[in-house]
Amino acid sequence: MAEYVYDRQKISEGLAAIIAGNSSDTAREWLQQRLQKAASLPQFNQTFTAIPRFTGKNMIVVSPEQAAVLQQQVPGFFVHGWTLDRLIRAWWLLQLDTSDKAVYLDTIEKLFLSAEMNELAALYSALPLLAWPEEWKLRTAEGVRSNIGVVQEAIMLRNPYPARYLDEPAWNQLVMKAIFTDKPLHLITGLDERRNAALAAILTDFAHERWAAGRKVSPMQWRLLTALITADNMADLTRVWHSADQTEKAAAALVFAYTDYAPAKTLLASDPALTAEIQSGALNWDVIAAKLSQN
Amino acid sequence: MCGIHELTEKDLQPLTYTPAYLDKIKGMRFFDPHVHMTSRTTDDYQAMADAGVVALIEPAFWLGQPRTGVDTFRDYFNSILGWERFRASQFGIKHYCTIGLNSKEANNEALAEAVMEILPQFIYKEGVVGVGEIGFDDQTPLEEKYYRAQLELAKEAGLPVQIHTPHRDKKKGTQRSMDIAMEHGLAPHMVIVDHNNEETVKEVLDRGFWAAFTIYPFTKMGNERMVEVVKQYGSERIMVNSAADWGISDPLAVPKTAALMHESGIDLNDIHLVTYMNAVKAFAQSGQINEADFDLAGNIDQSEKFNGSTVLRGGQQPRINKNTTIIR
Repeated sequence: MAEYVYDRQKISEGLAAIIAGNSSDTAREWLQQRLQKAASLPQFNQTFTAIPRFTGKNMIVVSPEQAAVLQQQVPGFFVHGWTLDRLIRAWWLLQLDTSDKAVYLDTIEKLFLSAEMNELAALYSALPLLAWPEEWKLRTAEGVRSNIGVVQEAIMLRNPYPARYLDEPAWNQLVMKAIFTDKPLHLITGLDERRNAALAAILTDFAHERWAAGRKVSPMQWRLLTALITADNMADLTRVWHSADQTEKAAAALVFAYTDYAPAKTLLASDPALTAEIQSGALNWDVIAAKLSQN
Repeated sequence: MCGIHELTEKDLQPLTYTPAYLDKIKGMRFFDPHVHMTSRTTDDYQAMADAGVVALIEPAFWLGQPRTGVDTFRDYFNSILGWERFRASQFGIKHYCTIGLNSKEANNEALAEAVMEILPQFIYKEGVVGVGEIGFDDQTPLEEKYYRAQLELAKEAGLPVQIHTPHRDKKKGTQRSMDIAMEHGLAPHMVIVDHNNEETVKEVLDRGFWAAFTIYPFTKMGNERMVEVVKQYGSERIMVNSAADWGISDPLAVPKTAALMHESGIDLNDIHLVTYMNAVKAFAQSGQINEADFDLAGNIDQSEKFNGSTVLRGGQQPRINKNTTIIR
């Protein structure tokens, strides 16, 4: 397995360009000084920790061209909405020597073990950039168990690593935890691509629990049943379709629109207005997400 | 956590019942520079936020029972830098901490050595505003050894020191703590001497140190006595805290003391200094406190920035009605 699955030099330069546009002269001078000492592990670790003290934590501004450079190398890698310290920490991780795999893995793992909240968020955000990506699967699963919102978000939202590397049970756990903690599901990278029957079954069981408790089920979660309708879960989707809540009905309609399952197609056809909205593109999952966030 | 998306605006409003003292301090902001939130419930966080506490410092201390290994120290430090900080943010409270080896556990030499070895990994972390709480408990030679070592650490890192003064032989212990700090070349303005009382305060102030008072029932200061201290010594370099922990203590000690001072005719500016500004100034010498962050404490939810979600609103927590037998 190759150490980096992308051109490290290009990503490092791409990040450096964004850093240059978002930081002060003194911050950049400080980073250059620290770079001279990066070969010493204690110095490397100390710099990682000290970054916000010297760079500040402003939200970064990224041009579409700068974002494209990163995306070309690491599809789905997304730094929009990051603070400067997080971006610089990601860049700093790329400066760690990879000539000895064991030392590299141990150094990164120890950063995780002694990280405060924002360091954890930076480390998990940088998962798509770490060398030997296969080695971070258990660490990612551990991060999903975190109770800290910013850490959960760093892993779950706009991060291409989990969809690409997690096995199915770990992926399903990530999605369920995102639902339990009210994360905006449409921001999970690879949500549709990693749909699976096991997750669909967990979700319908979960819906039954919620209904039994007199609680609502987020309409967004039905998206994960797309193309996975069976005789078993059709009853649940039919219930959602008949909901008085228009957003719930719209969610069911979107699931029905992408299936060959005849009873679902029949139900959808019974509402020509909704069918037309889907066909024209006026109704899609982003529209549902936007509606939910306005509640 | 589930079901937050079903909340209405009503669920996020304060309860209609408010204790009378809250009226007196309405609109005031408080900073509690010493409180062990890891021992407190979410009800406490909610009550503190309602009473105007906008930021706090959680000093590293012992847990009521001695630890047996360095790993539990590491986990404790991680916890006050991580999970506890996040818990506070859910209630819009900015959480800082001080990191150190407390005096009680300094008496286990093997453990103390191991803790000293990991301290440098933690004192440079974001939001660490000092080395603390350190100092004397029993005033043993081992306590002195690790107190001195940590003063050196603070000096090197340019961090303020938060000194715990002993319950027994307090006056001498406090004097000795200050003498040793001076001996190590720490400027008095970088040292916050905690748990003062009527007997210790004069010398602490005369020598140029910050004097912190802990309002803690039965064993430390009561707030009526605190009012008298402020009347006598004024507000310069004096601050109050709750030091609320796993014992019978009160996380609202700072706002309650402000209310009592107001009732006793103490000038509003003096109240502001003693319950907010002095502590901010003392610990901001770490370079880690920015008052503007107090207002942003709750807005750490990145997803909010992506989709403008009003549901998450910075992770604001739903209120539970404590006056009903129904739990939903």
